[in-house]
Amino acid sequence: MKQLYYDVKKCLGCKSCEIACAIAHSVTQDLFKSIKEQRLSLPRKKVYFSAGKNYPVSCRHCEDPKCVVACMSGCLTYDKEKKMVIHDESRCVGCWMCVMSCPYGAIRPNIKTKIPVRCDKCKDKEEPVCVQACPTGAIIWQEEMVIKK
Amino acid sequence: MNQFIIIGNSAAGIAGLEAIREKDKDSKVIVISDENYSAYCRCMISYYLAKEVSEDNLLYRPKNFYKENNVELLLNKKVTKVDPKKNRIICEDKSQLGYDALLIATGSTPKFPEIPGIKKRGVFGFRTIKDVKEIEGLVPVTKTACIMGGGLIGLKAAYALKKRNIDVKVIIKSKQVLSQMLDFEAALLVQKKLEEHGIEIIFNQDVTEVIGDEGELKAVKLDSGKVIGCSLIIVGKGVSPNLGLVKDTEIKVSEGIIADGLLRTSIPNIYVAGDVAETYDITLGKHSINALWPIAVEQGRLAGSNMAGDKINYEGSVGMNSIEFFGLPIVSLGIFKINPDDKSFEELKLNNVKENIYKKIILRGNALVGAIFAGDIKNSGVYLRLIRKRVDVSSIKDKLLEANFGYPDVIDLIKEKEKLYV
Repeated sequence: MKQLYYDVKKCLGCKSCEIACAIAHSVTQDLFKSIKEQRLSLPRKKVYFSAGKNYPVSCRHCEDPKCVVACMSGCLTYDKEKKMVIHDESRCVGCWMCVMSCPYGAIRPNIKTKIPVRCDKCKDKEEPVCVQACPTGAIIWQEEMVIKK
Repeated sequence: MNQFIIIGNSAAGIAGLEAIREKDKDSKVIVISDENYSAYCRCMISYYLAKEVSEDNLLYRPKNFYKENNVELLLNKKVTKVDPKKNRIICEDKSQLGYDALLIATGSTPKFPEIPGIKKRGVFGFRTIKDVKEIEGLVPVTKTACIMGGGLIGLKAAYALKKRNIDVKVIIKSKQVLSQMLDFEAALLVQKKLEEHGIEIIFNQDVTEVIGDEGELKAVKLDSGKVIGCSLIIVGKGVSPNLGLVKDTEIKVSEGIIADGLLRTSIPNIYVAGDVAETYDITLGKHSINALWPIAVEQGRLAGSNMAGDKINYEGSVGMNSIEFFGLPIVSLGIFKINPDDKSFEELKLNNVKENIYKKIILRGNALVGAIFAGDIKNSGVYLRLIRKRVDVSSIKDKLLEANFGYPDVIDLIKEKEKLYV
């Protein structure tokens, strides 16, 4: 199963991935139209700056997901075949238990819609839009890899 | 082949049965509930009363769940006694069942204060679908409802009834709402939100009597002597763990049933999880009950795995909660209030009145032991992780309350092998 990796040395913190993500999850799929949508689409990915480096943070689809354990409405499930946490938004009530439980801070509350936002790996697309949006190639979309340090 | 019995069909019980089935497909598993419903989410009954969630959506596992998992579900059956010597349980209907391993996940029951009139029709706890259905019957004829207690249950009930256009008065003994999870400053933000939306809160008062004739509820009387007319009362004065079934057994009990590191009771083949379990609390450094859905699921899963042969140690729980009222999200973690004279703690605070954001962090030594986030709860899970792992945060102390604080700031501290950043 493909996973998102980040070459931190290449990330400039330009936030192109955030913008691409927000547009991809908007209704109109267009930058200028999407900012006028009634419910502003929020990025599923956030770039944090720490100790001189930039780190894109988004849902890792953990194999032992704390958010699924915490979910009290049953809207979060872990799909073992797809290796993904699935979020059934129609059942979600915005209790924020998942936000409280995510050890990576990768689930963010959208207070207006009362539904948390999280990376869905752009499920309907070939690859997550952030990958192409990154001008430096810092976002890598590939099968699970062994880290070389 | 073993026979596993799980008493309780909610968060801990269901998680327990799922964990057993992950390891053991063959043994017999029996789940017993004194309610008449397939597993549903207790914490969502306020949304159900508010008509924001349908009854079907309260059910958090599919209809064929028990069949798929090859589990026998016994509803409307109350277990009255556990007999550890004979490895059996005894039910109210006198039936008996034997087990090889037992999971007690019986949860808790609302406490009702002992005051005159409390048994009158129209006075409810707020924990089950049945409670909501009975309350629902009174909604059309209720103009004013009183809530006893300003805890989470009371306020969630208040929110739901307000959404149903009922005048709601919350009567609170202390000077703040949510005194079991927030400090005064954060509580004030919640209070303002509730009051802005028309919920009346009466502080420093307790209900001394429920007034009415022939069982019919008419009003409540307060300490001050003031009488408030109402036709519906919801009691949110805390819960007590359901441990009657282990009375007069060797199973050790304090406030709840005491769990060891493997979530066993003092009898090795009897496990305990959820609101009835008293487990090690990481921030308090002693046993305590942390009654919360995510904790119950976590404990149920671990107890289930251990019943099926694992030996996984429970690292302990942290008291926590997450709520939202009218667009104000709040998370409370671990120790949330300290005695100002106690010099072993240090508090860091951020109070942004303009944006309705309040954050507080409590440190002991150089470790995070508690936090409150109101208005901005982003990354609260990262703080929870620091609390759980008792991480020395001295090197990032000045960053902890910054708006851009996040997981990357703690990568070097948590000593977990980072796989995504290359």
